[in-house]
Amino acid sequence: MSPSEHKTMVNLAARRGDRDTGEDTLRLIAQLPAPRGLEDRVQAELRAAPRRARVLSWPAALRSDSPWMRSAAAAAIVFVVAGGGWGVYSRVQPPQPARVIVMPPRVAAPGSFSSAAAIRTPNTLDGPVVAIPATKKPAEVRGPDKLPALAVQKASRRLQAGATKETAIQAQAQPAAK
Amino acid sequence: MSTSQAIFAGWMEIPNSAVNQDARSQTEQTAAEEATLVALVSQYAGTLYRVAFSVLRNPADAEDAVQEAFLRVLRHRDTLDEVRDRRVWLIRIVWNIVLDRKRRAKTRPETDDVSELARVLPHSGLSAEEIASAAQHHAHVLACVDRLPVKEREVLMLSAFEELSSVEIAVVLDISESSVRSRLFRARNLMAGLLNHERK
Repeated sequence: MSPSEHKTMVNLAARRGDRDTGEDTLRLIAQLPAPRGLEDRVQAELRAAPRRARVLSWPAALRSDSPWMRSAAAAAIVFVVAGGGWGVYSRVQPPQPARVIVMPPRVAAPGSFSSAAAIRTPNTLDGPVVAIPATKKPAEVRGPDKLPALAVQKASRRLQAGATKETAIQAQAQPAAK
Repeated sequence: MSTSQAIFAGWMEIPNSAVNQDARSQTEQTAAEEATLVALVSQYAGTLYRVAFSVLRNPADAEDAVQEAFLRVLRHRDTLDEVRDRRVWLIRIVWNIVLDRKRRAKTRPETDDVSELARVLPHSGLSAEEIASAAQHHAHVLACVDRLPVKEREVLMLSAFEELSSVEIAVVLDISESSVRSRLFRARNLMAGLLNHERK
């Protein structure tokens, strides 16, 4: 900006009427030239600055460019992956069967209601059995005609056992006499 | 290269030529980045200085801010290719730096700013009386600018740069273009009111 332009701007700003917003001053500041040698100083500052932002400066042998480091990194990755896989494999246990109580199916009696929404109730025990006492039968009365037959049988057995004829005759005679 | 290294290199399938080629391409890339950085400094150092000075109003502080901005660019030079408008990107960097510095140095008396400004502003061809009058006027305007709300003040200061459009101001401040316009309208009204009030 030439001095004449600046003078005009300052005068305009100073003598402006109602609508002075002060932007002329701000424009004047915005058009200020940069100081001499600014670029050189910035370039020098940039040249002096570290090339890479690092927390630690690694030695050349340990940088990622060297094949040793690449090999070591690959080996470390393989080791970590394999170790992790083995760790998972060794910790996994075979699945155990689920513990389920198997209930016997309830068989509905034929002709009964269905078992829908029924609550299972345990079977009741058999109740006490009432024993009926046995009554004594009256003794049979033998008839008079059966006695001689028994006697005859006994006598025949005696005869067979060597009894005398007489006793046998007496025996036949006695019922006749009676 | 030792035997074991050769075995490892063969096992990893990293031939020496590939490693050397990588190193060479890296060197070329670094040289290209440095050339880009040098071009950026020569092209935009003046603009960044003016932006910094408009906020800090101190030549030394403004120069420090410009240097810090370019150091930040150096640190993030890998991302330079991704930047669309480097000028606006650089102005945004230096704008954030100067706002941060201004916030930290808030306790500093502002009379220093005015005296510094009177010394820096061009005054060749003016009489001593006119220089004093101009410096007083500038100081008065800057005092009114400092009394504006932050949002309006930022827009008004950036609008003074003729090389920045309202779209670019919106990018620097990370707001919409309509917000820039409305804030600028409010800032002008406020400034007019403040200056009239002071004059009366």
